[in-house]
Amino acid sequence: MSESLLPSGVDVQFADIESALAGSSDDTRRAGGTALTATVVVAGPRHRLVEAAQAIAALKDVGVRAVLISYGDNPAPGVRVAGHTVALEGLRPDYLNNAVAALRLSSLPTLVWWRGGGTKDIEGLATLADRLVLDAEDPREVWKWVENLAQRTSVSDLRWARLTRWRALMANFFDIPEVCAAASSFSALRVEGSDRPAMCLFAGWLLSILGSEQRIVPDLREQSSLAPIEAVVLGDGTQQLVLRMAANRTCVQTAATVPNLPSACRTVSLGNQQLAALLGEELRIRARDVAFERAVAASRNVS
Amino acid sequence: MAQGDRRETDLATARELNAIVHRHYSEDQVYRIDHYLGKETVQNLMVFRFANGMFEPIWNRRYIDHVQITAAETVGVERRASYYEGAGALRDMVQNHLMQLLALVAMEPPIAFTAESVRDRKVDTILAAQPLAHNGKTDVVRAQYAAGWVAGAEVPGYRQDTGVSPQSTTETFVALRMQLDSWRWAGVPFYLRTGKRMPKRTTEIAIQMRRPPLEIFRRVSPSAVAANLLIINVQPDEGISVRFEAKLPGTRMQLAPVMMNFRYGTAFGGAVPEAYETLLLDAMLGDPTLFARHDFVERSWELITPVHEHWRNENASTIPTYEAGEWGPAEADELMARDGRRWRTL
Repeated sequence: MSESLLPSGVDVQFADIESALAGSSDDTRRAGGTALTATVVVAGPRHRLVEAAQAIAALKDVGVRAVLISYGDNPAPGVRVAGHTVALEGLRPDYLNNAVAALRLSSLPTLVWWRGGGTKDIEGLATLADRLVLDAEDPREVWKWVENLAQRTSVSDLRWARLTRWRALMANFFDIPEVCAAASSFSALRVEGSDRPAMCLFAGWLLSILGSEQRIVPDLREQSSLAPIEAVVLGDGTQQLVLRMAANRTCVQTAATVPNLPSACRTVSLGNQQLAALLGEELRIRARDVAFERAVAASRNVS
Repeated sequence: MAQGDRRETDLATARELNAIVHRHYSEDQVYRIDHYLGKETVQNLMVFRFANGMFEPIWNRRYIDHVQITAAETVGVERRASYYEGAGALRDMVQNHLMQLLALVAMEPPIAFTAESVRDRKVDTILAAQPLAHNGKTDVVRAQYAAGWVAGAEVPGYRQDTGVSPQSTTETFVALRMQLDSWRWAGVPFYLRTGKRMPKRTTEIAIQMRRPPLEIFRRVSPSAVAANLLIINVQPDEGISVRFEAKLPGTRMQLAPVMMNFRYGTAFGGAVPEAYETLLLDAMLGDPTLFARHDFVERSWELITPVHEHWRNENASTIPTYEAGEWGPAEADELMARDGRRWRTL
């Protein structure tokens, strides 16, 4: 049997979860700890919950109640509580909604971090979540549902969060008037990397904001030895905007080759890409992310 | 009434019972127990409203958008099927407990903390309620739980519970919208809901304030600002919470809702007396403040009896269902959606 998601926790009955958590809250209060401000639900297959549990543990100072739910076929799953975290192991996915409805903090935001599973179970979850953060190994199936899910809650994806700095750097190019002037002639987009969904998402985003889905045919070059996104090259035969992962793998080098523009190169940190950091950032956002929704829609046309 | 003679309780039987009781006892000798009134938080509601100067000025239609009162249980009908089949949620919970909570939230300030003064104001409040069923229409939704998953286990549907008819149309969930015709509350809806086999056991009164007239943070924090809430937790974890917006720490202007909590368990320590302890002691001391008066009881039956008649006239052999472990049927959501509102996800 694999190790528990909460090795330091105690086994409790489902009906006793609240009192076990309240005991933790009292201890925290006495220790002058943080108040709870949100519920984070992590749902997914068991093998994807281990690193999620570690990320949640790293968020202990943020003040969240965390609920870890791994899928199985058990109508009466094992329950373990440690601090403000509850783990339900082996729950039948049909009952995901019921478990979340019972365990979320009333009146405060609930973020659902969805690490994969059947798409039919996600629709009900969306009605209970204030923010739904998708993070499936292969997200293509669930991305077909984003438009529908976005009618119920704000939807995002950790792949999208990882692309934030890449998107910002690409957008920065267009602050330069010469680049803006040249943009209408761009006809080629090359994305290199190892994570095809991320590559499609970036290409979809870029094409949707440039309004050039017909004009630019993206060229995705996938290679398993590369970073999820290794390089992005936008331009035509003579002009190029380039983003490329630096040798240290923590920064991106940017370069623009456009007529009448002096060489514009810089190296920028990708920021903290750890799961806990990305999740912490997602917890700070409440607004609907229309750019993500459009990027996902456009990514479906990128093969 | 002979043993085994089952009459459905309604306005007529309530009046009949009061008449019988009054033949032998005067009203000041009668103590009708509603154990909700003995709960600390329910008593505290009067203290909260009338012993503090800062809440009553905003306790009206100008500042309050709407009120939601929820009494949710995780249990099913258990071993009370023979009683519950003839009662249902509207009689079992709304006519008594929820009406009392409504009256305490909405009553005008009594001129003194005396039994008659408090009970007069409560009766005034419920007299101001618009009919719940009128001209063949009603703002009351009913439903029955189907099989599902609650409190960590699979549970059968109501019709599969021991002692329940397989064709039963008894409601285990009710949601309703009430309006009070008063200067204080005109246009402010009160939404009440109660149900069995809900995801959580909780009873609370949530007072949702109106939104700020101008959203000056829309540009820097485009997320929708959550409305301020005042939540009175009746059970469990008795206390009062206020939800308000706060700036998230950091260089960016980002907003998030936070809670300011008062909890009996942590504020005062020690055990909170059981509701029945309080009420039985009051009865022995001759203090009827926390007991239902005959006119309140009759008025509450006067409100719900037409709803039962409306349901009887529908002559329905089916009833909407909700999965055990969920917050009621889609019809309840639609009741709120018609007003552009949503039930709180507790």
